[in-house]
Amino acid sequence: MARQFRLTAMPIVRKKIVVLSGLGLLLTPVLSFAQTASPNVAEASLERAVVRAVQEEFLSGMSIPDAEPVPFANAAFPSDLLLLAQAQGSTQQQTQPPAGNSKAPDLGDLFPTDQAQGNTQDQARLDRRSHMLKMHQRYGLITLGAMAATIAVSGLAAGKNNTATGRDIHGALGSVTADMYFMAAYYAIRAPRIPGTPVRGPIRLHKALAWIHGPGMILTPILGAMALAQEQNGQKVHGIASAHSAVAAVTYTSFGLAFLSVAIKF
Amino acid sequence: MNQRMLLTFLLLAPCLFAQADSQWVLDQSTLSYHVSHALHQTDGVSHAARGKGVCQAGRCDFLIAVPVKSFDSGDSNRDLHTLQVTRGAQFPLVSVRTRLPESLAGSATIQSDLQITFAGQTAEYKQVPFQLVTQGKQIKISGTIPAKLTDFKIDPPSLLAIPVKNEIPVKVEMTWHAE
Repeated sequence: MARQFRLTAMPIVRKKIVVLSGLGLLLTPVLSFAQTASPNVAEASLERAVVRAVQEEFLSGMSIPDAEPVPFANAAFPSDLLLLAQAQGSTQQQTQPPAGNSKAPDLGDLFPTDQAQGNTQDQARLDRRSHMLKMHQRYGLITLGAMAATIAVSGLAAGKNNTATGRDIHGALGSVTADMYFMAAYYAIRAPRIPGTPVRGPIRLHKALAWIHGPGMILTPILGAMALAQEQNGQKVHGIASAHSAVAAVTYTSFGLAFLSVAIKF
Repeated sequence: MNQRMLLTFLLLAPCLFAQADSQWVLDQSTLSYHVSHALHQTDGVSHAARGKGVCQAGRCDFLIAVPVKSFDSGDSNRDLHTLQVTRGAQFPLVSVRTRLPESLAGSATIQSDLQITFAGQTAEYKQVPFQLVTQGKQIKISGTIPAKLTDFKIDPPSLLAIPVKNEIPVKVEMTWHAE
């Protein structure tokens, strides 16, 4: 009895095997699109992709009763990037082809995943760098203003019209200038470097000029203090202190050029 | 007999479904954005775009993508700042999608609807005009995309407290070939 049942059932089993094998082959190219990091997402996307493929190839505009309409955001085959973005909770939607064409190219066809994938740590570093350079710019502008004011009152600190008050004002403004300058320098020096980025353009001149106004900004207040001490002792300014004005002029000029190098295109 | 036919059909069906009518590949490209500032006029240029077009049933879907960091304005400091304000490390690619009828390949001008994804935002530009020049199997496309910073929610960067203009027109020159 059992032998007879097995014999009659065999052709049906063979047919089923043939049909299932065929379906497996039919789905092979679809499966190749669905290489994913997350099996659940792949499964859902695969179902949508099959529905879409069937709709496109056979029904030309007709809808399948039980098939959900595929929203644009989830349309077509997911690439690795989209799945990674979904996994990370990102809203980045760079990889979806236009709706209505399952064979539309996606970013995975153009760039490898590692180039297409964003990096929040790198972005944070860029944000920090930009913030620090904005502070550098702000303190640099304040320094420029304070420096101009210091030079404007320098006539009251030396020469025929010098007075004790004039020297105090000049000294105070000079101190503010130096403080602001070193704050600006701090932000420029501490701003994170971005690896693999060669320095090009006017920023090279801006950086090179720092080798002039940097030492100048250290020397100028020291020489100014020496000159002030000599004046207060009733002495005529002499020795290295007499270079205060010249060093200040070079410092001011190089600092002004550094400002212009980034402010004006040439 | 029926089983054999069914089996043959099932074996061949995947190949038939997977085939597209034709494909286009981007050979060369020059993309340049223009930024206007009271003190500066800046152009950033990239030749690193890659593109692909897939034609099927008389319509072609194109995708062009370019790394944000590949744009060179001649000043590394400005380029890094551009990368920062456009969130180029988090969203490294600018991608442009468009769909065109295959029959337009021989036209001198086309009006194209573009979907641009940049800085994590997607913006649509309708009826952007492009000029086409056909040279043998190659097609040269040129035009300007009227992009704006606000379209992508990018805060206009500023220099010396003066922000740049909102308009950042992107000039496009591309050479495609059919495969």
